[in-house]
Amino acid sequence: MRTSGRAAWLARICTPAVLVGTLSLAAVVAIYWYMASRPGTNPALVPTPPTIIKALREEIASGDLLVNTVASLKRVVIGFCIGASLALVLGALAGWFRYAGYVLNPIIDALRPIPALAYIPLVIVWIGIGEPSRIIIIVLAVFKPCVVNARAGMKEVAQIYVDAARTLGASRWRVFMTVALPSAVPYFIAGLRTGVSTGFLALVAAELIAAPSGLGFMIQNAGQYFRTDITIVGIVVIGLLGALLDQIASRTGRALTAWSEVRREP
Amino acid sequence: MMSAREQAPAGMSKLAVRGLTHRYVMGSPPEKLTVLSNIDLDVARGQFVCIIGESGCGKSTLLRMMAGLLLPTEGQVLHDGTKVAGVRHELGFVFQQDAVFPWLTVEKNVAYGPRSRGVPKAQRERLVATWCEAVGLTAFRKAYPKQLSGGMRKRVDLARAYANSPDILLMDEPFAALDVQTKAEMQDAVLELWRSTGKTVVFVTHDLDEAVFLSDVVVVLSSRPGRVHAIVPSTLARPRTAETRVSDAFAAAKRTLWTTLQEARGRHAGPGQSEAVERVIKANTAHI
Repeated sequence: MRTSGRAAWLARICTPAVLVGTLSLAAVVAIYWYMASRPGTNPALVPTPPTIIKALREEIASGDLLVNTVASLKRVVIGFCIGASLALVLGALAGWFRYAGYVLNPIIDALRPIPALAYIPLVIVWIGIGEPSRIIIIVLAVFKPCVVNARAGMKEVAQIYVDAARTLGASRWRVFMTVALPSAVPYFIAGLRTGVSTGFLALVAAELIAAPSGLGFMIQNAGQYFRTDITIVGIVVIGLLGALLDQIASRTGRALTAWSEVRREP
Repeated sequence: MMSAREQAPAGMSKLAVRGLTHRYVMGSPPEKLTVLSNIDLDVARGQFVCIIGESGCGKSTLLRMMAGLLLPTEGQVLHDGTKVAGVRHELGFVFQQDAVFPWLTVEKNVAYGPRSRGVPKAQRERLVATWCEAVGLTAFRKAYPKQLSGGMRKRVDLARAYANSPDILLMDEPFAALDVQTKAEMQDAVLELWRSTGKTVVFVTHDLDEAVFLSDVVVVLSSRPGRVHAIVPSTLARPRTAETRVSDAFAAAKRTLWTTLQEARGRHAGPGQSEAVERVIKANTAHI
């Protein structure tokens, strides 16, 4: 029983995509390893994979990695929650109610072409270097893609559902709440997923500038002491964390749009 | 629902259309296009009325006006003598397209209307049970629309419309997208709903067979602008069954209707009447 179960599991996991993909990644590591161990390369600046793994162990053992990861995660989660909820509420209103659109559209469209990172100097001057500034940068970065997608989703609500709800006696507010919002959910999810990645991007940037903790701080600090091994550990952890957050967002999204006929690629 | 019917004064039409004209403004420079011209119609309580006409004759526009989804340029629609100035739940509507909410389960779709009107939960549940049963979807109450076939979704649509206790059902080519077999099943289902509830139905179609099979009266519209060309009462006995479809009386009724539709075309058709009209005519001659 157990052996056949494991065989089935292996067969399911070992698809061509997974096998070739693993090889492809391994090739990149191998090339790096080869370059790093060539004579004449300074092992302190270009550490080999074993050195990097050693650095990872040390960072875990000392607790620094955990502290920094938690600090970053906390910022991104708080920033994401604030930015995304503001964006969904304002985007939904702007996309659905004509006058809300008149009020909000110019603001949204004015914000749209400006990268969130461009606000960093302004935020530092106005609010100073502290936790609130970092979170504000993340909020701005998350807000933009979410609000644009939410608004677009509300514009795409099929008229047939609106007419159907109205003939069934639904009030305008009820049409908004029970027809427009649910049918725009796929757009909301697309916005939230983009928001997760832009928020994460902004997080590292915000931490690079001045922060007492966080993954951005960790890689910056290590770089200043030529500890490239720790920097690489930080970069890999940032990548894994980003992928994890995107997976959470996409799985939540798929669960929420299980009713949808359109098959959405993760 | 009974009380509304009893309150209607005797002799008054359930639904009346008076001097209805509608113009769209389109193109640039803006040009007025008259789609419906001076329509007068009376639908008696409990009647099954079909409206037929060629593509573009404004039959769907007329039905949307009966529902209050659109307001006419001139004239009015009267429901029990009061002017229809907007949508009202007494005027149930079944659309041609798939209008079942895909994000709600079958039972939540059916409960949507009553819930919108604040019907208490216990009563709502009774309505859902009754109407899911009536259209044969009890086993699929918890299913999402994507798990159902096109015909079953139409059943959900019908149940949703009936569960909202409408006084009149307005159906806009509801079965146009279905295959022949499913279409016949749905026609039987709609006749059964009509028979058991006794509620007035106005049914728009471009399918002569459908009109003949379902109706008490067929209203034939002419094209561009749509006018009432003729009102043809049905000669077929009820109940209508599978035998009805292949009977001589059915063929005769269809022939009459076909001739009338051709007259409607000949009398009002402008120069260069579209190929759409030709298509309808071809599609319908094939069966005669």
